[in-house]
Amino acid sequence: MGPLTPFSDIDVPAPQPDATYRVRLLHRDFAFTGLKALLGAADHPKAGDRLAGLAARDEVEREAARTALSSLTVQHLFDRPLTDADGRVDDVMRANYQIDAAAFADIAPLTLGALKDLLLKARPAEVRRIGLGLTGVMAAALAKIMDVHELVLVAKKAKRSATARTLVGATGTLSSRLQPNHPTDDLSCVTALVYTGLSMGAGDALIGLNPAVDTLENVSAILAHLDRLRRQTGAPTQICVLAHIKTQLAALAAGAPVEIMFQSLAGTERTLTQEFDVTIALLDEAYAAMAAGGPLGPDCQFMYFETGQGSELTYAKHDGIDMATCEALCYGLARRYDPFMVNNVTGFIGPETHRDNFEMIVSNLQDHFMGKLLGLPMGMAPCYTLHSEITMEGQQVATGLLAAAGANFFMEVYLSTDRMLAYFDTSGHDDQTLREIHGLKPAPDFLAWALARGIFTEEDGEVVRGPNWGDPRLFCANEIEFERLARTVPGAHGFENAGPRPADTVSRAVKANLAIAREAIHADLDPARLGGIAFRRIASRAHDRAAHLSHPDIGADLDAADLAHLRPEHRDVQIVVSDGLSAEAIHANVPDLVPVLLEGLERSGARLGVPVLVPFGRVKVAEPIGDALGARVVVTLIGERPGGDARASRSMSAYLAFRIADEETRARAAAFSGNPAIRYEYSVISNIYDGGLPPVEAAGVIIEKVLQILAHKAAGNRLESLLATRAA
Amino acid sequence: MVNAGAAGDEVMLVGFDFGSTTSSAMAARARIALNCATGRQEFQSPRVVYRSEPVFTPFRAAGDIDICHVERHMERWLAEGGIAPEAVFSGGAIVTGLASEGANAEALAKLVEARLGDAIIATARDPALESWLAFMGSCAGLSRALPTRAILNLDIGGGTTNAALGEAGEVIATGCHFIGARHLRFAPGTYRLAFVSRRARAVLDHLGIAAREGDALAPAEVAAVTGFLVRALEALAEGDAAFFQAEPARLLVDVPLALPGGADPAVTFSGGVGELVYAARAGADLPPVTAFGDLGIDLACAILASPRLCRDLDLVPEHGGRATVCGLTLHATEVSGATLHLADTVPLPLRDLPILACLPPDADPARLGEAVALVARTRAGGCIRIAGGAGLGSAAAVKVLGARIAEALAARPPDGARPLVLLLADNAAKTLGLYATDFGRAPAPLLVIDEVPDRPAQFVRVGKARGGLVPISFYGLN
Repeated sequence: MGPLTPFSDIDVPAPQPDATYRVRLLHRDFAFTGLKALLGAADHPKAGDRLAGLAARDEVEREAARTALSSLTVQHLFDRPLTDADGRVDDVMRANYQIDAAAFADIAPLTLGALKDLLLKARPAEVRRIGLGLTGVMAAALAKIMDVHELVLVAKKAKRSATARTLVGATGTLSSRLQPNHPTDDLSCVTALVYTGLSMGAGDALIGLNPAVDTLENVSAILAHLDRLRRQTGAPTQICVLAHIKTQLAALAAGAPVEIMFQSLAGTERTLTQEFDVTIALLDEAYAAMAAGGPLGPDCQFMYFETGQGSELTYAKHDGIDMATCEALCYGLARRYDPFMVNNVTGFIGPETHRDNFEMIVSNLQDHFMGKLLGLPMGMAPCYTLHSEITMEGQQVATGLLAAAGANFFMEVYLSTDRMLAYFDTSGHDDQTLREIHGLKPAPDFLAWALARGIFTEEDGEVVRGPNWGDPRLFCANEIEFERLARTVPGAHGFENAGPRPADTVSRAVKANLAIAREAIHADLDPARLGGIAFRRIASRAHDRAAHLSHPDIGADLDAADLAHLRPEHRDVQIVVSDGLSAEAIHANVPDLVPVLLEGLERSGARLGVPVLVPFGRVKVAEPIGDALGARVVVTLIGERPGGDARASRSMSAYLAFRIADEETRARAAAFSGNPAIRYEYSVISNIYDGGLPPVEAAGVIIEKVLQILAHKAAGNRLESLLATRAA
Repeated sequence: MVNAGAAGDEVMLVGFDFGSTTSSAMAARARIALNCATGRQEFQSPRVVYRSEPVFTPFRAAGDIDICHVERHMERWLAEGGIAPEAVFSGGAIVTGLASEGANAEALAKLVEARLGDAIIATARDPALESWLAFMGSCAGLSRALPTRAILNLDIGGGTTNAALGEAGEVIATGCHFIGARHLRFAPGTYRLAFVSRRARAVLDHLGIAAREGDALAPAEVAAVTGFLVRALEALAEGDAAFFQAEPARLLVDVPLALPGGADPAVTFSGGVGELVYAARAGADLPPVTAFGDLGIDLACAILASPRLCRDLDLVPEHGGRATVCGLTLHATEVSGATLHLADTVPLPLRDLPILACLPPDADPARLGEAVALVARTRAGGCIRIAGGAGLGSAAAVKVLGARIAEALAARPPDGARPLVLLLADNAAKTLGLYATDFGRAPAPLLVIDEVPDRPAQFVRVGKARGGLVPISFYGLN
């Protein structure tokens, strides 16, 4: 791995005023002002672009934008770098201009349409060469004028492999990243999931865990554990803990086995620096540290990036750039570091970016195409949350197309349900099924290891599942050890298999849990199921479920008319109940919880307002209510986003919002938080349901915490700090 | 297995076992965390960080324990294991078998308590607890791995066989019988008798063996004795209560074992003799007979010749001869839930709290009042168990029970030196405590501790709070 090109050496043309692109289709005239608008309108319809006002209004306008786009030359795009909200070329855009000048020179005069035709006709080596001459914006523009077959075909020609300890992404292979996440980083559960994944031939790209606690101590301990597992099993792969890059750098400096350095990327500098707390300089520092002291040595590829369409949009820091183009800009930045892996998790965020299967599938195909074309070893994680309309079947369609397109790897999340992040990804069963459908094998070193352990075997020259495939006991000393590990795995619906798939009993359990959990989101909040509690009903700005799910911010605001009727009451505590993302959680918990809460707070001397019911609300709806009613503390009981567990779909949280009403308290809160504009502090009590903190007991916990907040005039970390000081 | 080093804050657990033949110590570290699969707090990823070599339990000529000698062993164990008493979160010490029959067994227990402070329980003559510990120390994992199979563990030591029947990791019956290797002691390497216990004398008489101390047993006589003992073990496995009603087997019963009707459990072994059984089964050469000066090796060989007792030897439990100390270290302490009602005025730990009553959640006020009244007659407080089930699942049930407790406390207020501890199986302590104290308007020396499994015990110890939860240890098992 060579030294990085000094960032100041990257030449970027000066920004130009927006051009207007005009097209006439039959009797309609269309005009698009600026490349950002043109790129946004040219894309397939997606929720995030609609939310940002960038999507075309109809199919004809979309096709008009594509027509205009395909007529532009590559040079035209080169000459017009997209700018941020202040009109400057940000660092992410600058990184995208680190291209192969010779390759660019060959294609600069071509229109995008002609370039697309060239890519469709060209041999793989030529496609790969051309790709290195493109910026992210150029790749995004190409993606928008390609159909599904074209996205698959060109991506397949642009196949890229990479090597860390082992080679991943060679033609004819399909690998996977094993993701043994656990809500509290229970290492026994991690072991169980690693054993299970390895037994399915998964994890040949990476064993990588998202930590629940991002501290040096915890991350180092997990790295040491993964390292022990790798050595004990002998699996030829690499390990990673996907902590913040600063934590990983500290771990590396402390001698932890940081074999692969991970970081999430964003397509705008504002998102990257303000939300992800990462700068180009920090990425450069991490690269240099790994090159100098990474345990795998300087000759391998060691950087790992994750991206996904929509993150810039959800932080409202997309600078007017559509989701696909932002995503391509991530790839242009990633390319600077010649990474070992890039993993795309489009679909992770929710319906505000991708509402349904079509949107998710198209975005995944675009992302894979753009990343591969730009020269990256792309793996894919087409995924979803239950509050979108994306389904497991849609995810499977995406993986089928992506496997055909030559994706380097998919994820291995056991039975598709991530136990920490409450989303749904591909599984080891999916990976093996796709291998069998598409005639693909694991990475070569890993395959040799797996053949020796009976995970795979060879029959008539074909690699097929062996006698130990899917049996994690393979790595256990005995049944006792397996049982001890297995009992720590949440959502373990069984370890039985049918061919490369889970046994039907297991699949039925998985799907039943998903169905029940999804139903909880789409159920209507029914006042008749709230235990006869007298509520006053106030509307949020989300007047229906579709708006509630696709516009997260409007559920935090009150309907203007209802807000106008609220007058200050100056009570100590105001209880607010909202369905949030699970009305069933409210039905299941409020009837037992709220009466105890009201009685307990009243008998403790607190003055209470009449409880408020806010359908389609979000957590921050506490603030306009607190402001309008003048309550000291607003207790918001709200349904949590369901994951893959049916019982947990009834899980509710209590957000205790302390309204900072005097300057002395504000000064203290500002000093503690570093936020001079702080208005509310929050304490949170979560996991309220009969399998977690039962509602009756939760009432007692909330009462105690509210009384502490009132007594100390503080909430959240500041309150806990005060209590700890007092206890000491 | 890769040792799962815990990533978070760890606690230290310790165990000390003083048995008829040997004594040993163990220390482990574990993380207390929520098991996301079960929803309960527990010790996670326990790592045994110290195992002492077993030493012969030192007895004095009078037959009681040489406490000074034991004290030296303890000091060495503490030093070898790096065990600082103040760093111990929980644990236990138990004096078992023939050692517990010594006149100063209780004194030994007190010595351990004094040396290690309030973090542990120390007990002697607690045979049902010993059986429970041996099962948990050896078979808890095996039993959970085979949840539909009943397992009878026979922990055979020098003085007693502690039997425990379990299913799916839970003990459902215990017993204790004076079947052990050291009721007859020999000059090592010979069958010349050095000691014959009272119960062994009865067996020898029953078998028509007149040999006394100083005499050598003939091979046929040794076979007759081991045959009788094996028959007794088979009777345990078969639930043959009649065998133990006849002489001399009647004399072998300490705590009778009552197997459920029709039970045909798999039999496993632990303890010193059990360790020999599995070693021989695995092909190891056993030491020469009476190498340890007792009947252990002969008894192990006789067990291996019994089809009933050998039927399930493919099921190998863990920790062999260290089952009891392992059970003490890793299983003797339960972790409470994380939301408790702990009166500020009651300092922890609380030890030797008698369990005064076990009541249903809907216990009538009179019964509840009687139980609360008993607290005033205790030395340092008392405990009431509220049985589990769905009884405290509703707000109404918690409110009613809380009001009844409040009434009982008002009628007979406990004093600060005699707190009332309520142990709940359900997760409802915080709210029940609020109702029982009228939301702080009627403060009382009351602790409400939840998510504690039901145990048929006579005493409980409540350890110091840590991270909002407390360790709970039971002893004096019924």
